Amino acid sequence: MNRFGSLLGRGIERVSASALGPYQTAVVRIGFAATWLLFLLRELPHRHELYGPDSPWSWDMARQLIAENDAFTALMWSDGRIWFEVVYALAVLSSALLMLGWRTRTMSVLFMIGVLSLQNRSIFMGDGGDNVIHLMATYLVFTRCGQVWSLDARRAARARRAPARQEKALEPVDKALEPVDKVGPVLWWVLGLGLAVVTFMGELSGGWLLVFWGLWLTHGLWWAVGRRAPDGEARKLLDVTVKLAHNAALLVIMVEACLIYATAGWYKIQGSRWQDGTAIYYPLRLDYFSPWPALSDLLASHGLMVMLVTYGTVAVQVAFPFTLFNRRVKNVLLAAMIFEHAVIAVILGLPFFSLAMIAADAVFLPTSFLRRLGGWAARARGALFARFTRGRTGPGQRAQEAEPARESTEHARVGFPS
Amino acid sequence: MDANDNNANESPPPSSGAASPTPSGVVPPPSPIGAVSAPSDAIPGAVPGTPPATTGVPAAPASPPRGGIAALSPRCQVAGVLALVLIAVTACVHVGMLFLHVAPSNTVTKQHGQAIDDWVYPEFEQNWKLFAPNPMQQNIAVQARAQIRTAGGTNRTTGWYDLSALDGAAIDGNLLPSHTQQNELRRAWDFYVGAHDSQNRPRGLRGQLSENYIRRIVVMRVEREEAVGPGATIERVQVRSRTTNVPPPEWSDEKVSSKPVFRQLPWWSVTPEDMPPGKASKPEGDAR
Repeated sequence: MNRFGSLLGRGIERVSASALGPYQTAVVRIGFAATWLLFLLRELPHRHELYGPDSPWSWDMARQLIAENDAFTALMWSDGRIWFEVVYALAVLSSALLMLGWRTRTMSVLFMIGVLSLQNRSIFMGDGGDNVIHLMATYLVFTRCGQVWSLDARRAARARRAPARQEKALEPVDKALEPVDKVGPVLWWVLGLGLAVVTFMGELSGGWLLVFWGLWLTHGLWWAVGRRAPDGEARKLLDVTVKLAHNAALLVIMVEACLIYATAGWYKIQGSRWQDGTAIYYPLRLDYFSPWPALSDLLASHGLMVMLVTYGTVAVQVAFPFTLFNRRVKNVLLAAMIFEHAVIAVILGLPFFSLAMIAADAVFLPTSFLRRLGGWAARARGALFARFTRGRTGPGQRAQEAEPARESTEHARVGFPS
Repeated sequence: MDANDNNANESPPPSSGAASPTPSGVVPPPSPIGAVSAPSDAIPGAVPGTPPATTGVPAAPASPPRGGIAALSPRCQVAGVLALVLIAVTACVHVGMLFLHVAPSNTVTKQHGQAIDDWVYPEFEQNWKLFAPNPMQQNIAVQARAQIRTAGGTNRTTGWYDLSALDGAAIDGNLLPSHTQQNELRRAWDFYVGAHDSQNRPRGLRGQLSENYIRRIVVMRVEREEAVGPGATIERVQVRSRTTNVPPPEWSDEKVSSKPVFRQLPWWSVTPEDMPPGKASKPEGDAR
């Protein structure tokens, strides 16, 4: 009993003292924002047919269905062409900024609004990939997903270094101590104004009003409390609550990924084609899922290989949730699943579905691997910049290259044991 | 049945005025606009104001410095624990609801189906029966023809257009198939079939909507393919589906019929609302 108590105490301390998995949440954020951004850019020429005024799923039909199921979409606020273009543009912009991690918490809300607005406008256009993006967009709102690999993290790191220098110089630290953030409050006011307009138009249901106003007020509260007493009790309490919410959302994201694989696997076990080892053969012969018929024919012509892939798929999907208890086995299965999704992207012609699934898988990647990945990315970026700016910049450039390295050491201790 | 379809929001249960569910019933406070916590916050033990472990009594030298809720003042601790309980309960309930939503019909879902639906719909709906229990083993092609009234006042009927074959041709060799090619018609037909009985009688609002949807897609697509001509209009359209079994693998001794099965719908009159706005329906972008 006593042991249980101390275990519980340590667990509570862990989930209330740190926002776990900074690299994992960051990679999920980047993955989903990039997937949705690429999808929106790819569908740019078809956007009117998919979600806009020219859609065969007309605005009026969408309204009738939504009156029945109460789904959220900003596109129902007006049937105008300009409004549609504005919403689409905002969806593109918010996913790009969320990917970069600029004002991450705000962008995650706008990203969710963009995803829900477009998808709920024309629900019969989507597939499994859209479904994953839809769910994760909601969960990401509750995570602190910009702790690393974001413009926010870079800004925070700079702000931390600035006062340290000033203290050394023995200058009065009152005014310049905190670089005054003007963009944040402006963004907050603008979005508050927008929310007020939408509220008075009466377009939002009670639940959504609570969500959006709640998020808006909490943003303001956090800012105000931080201004008055950055080390005060109120700020600490808020911080603990935010971390708890982050960790809960991270858990939900992980469970969601497990549910996807578990259901996909368990239902397959019951199918005769998955039992007789021919299941994989059939999708390769469907006209809608065979963009490379020669390749599909080649794969479909080897009976033994079809059976191995069929059995392997089921085994991996059913087993995956249980392998989370063993780090090494989990990593092997994770690699297998990411590889299978990459293959599906090409062979079944489902690139965005596959990207979304890989982004979801990424929540289980080990911190060490992610940090190495970040190192490679930083080096690649440095090399790229060096090529562009060679000969033009002198000493300034070295400082720029050194920055990612410093950032990653700062986060070295915030690992997540997965 | 088909693999990659989610039925997002398709199932209708109209929640009886229930508020939209959110991931957590309470709104957990996020950080301020765009702000991230300083990483030092995230390191257990780095929280300022906590007693350093080194000054502890020798009896517990390894006791780590405390952070999180434990580091709060007693009054704030109560609030912190309250937040913890609320968030934990919400997360657990959410996960439980998701599980029951994706699980097969069972004892609990039979008794509390409405509560589960109220929580899950519309924003958390999901379906992960990917190619399960069995993958589709038929190619279903949607075909359509139109009756066109020409400028001279005569009627002519076009041949059958295999719209799914056109989709298939657009997908062939395409690294990035569009949802308009891969999902639009395919899922619209699924929707139609699911919302009608075998006599093509619509079921409720969804039946009616699915009929309008298919008709509008067909009008749009036929216009794209057929030179309707100035002054001419599409008066009526007819839709049929052609279902062909995928031949069994060559190493299998199974036999399935290779004869296609047709399902033909009655002629539908086309109303002005079915026409794309401004008839601006020339082939778009990289449609082929």
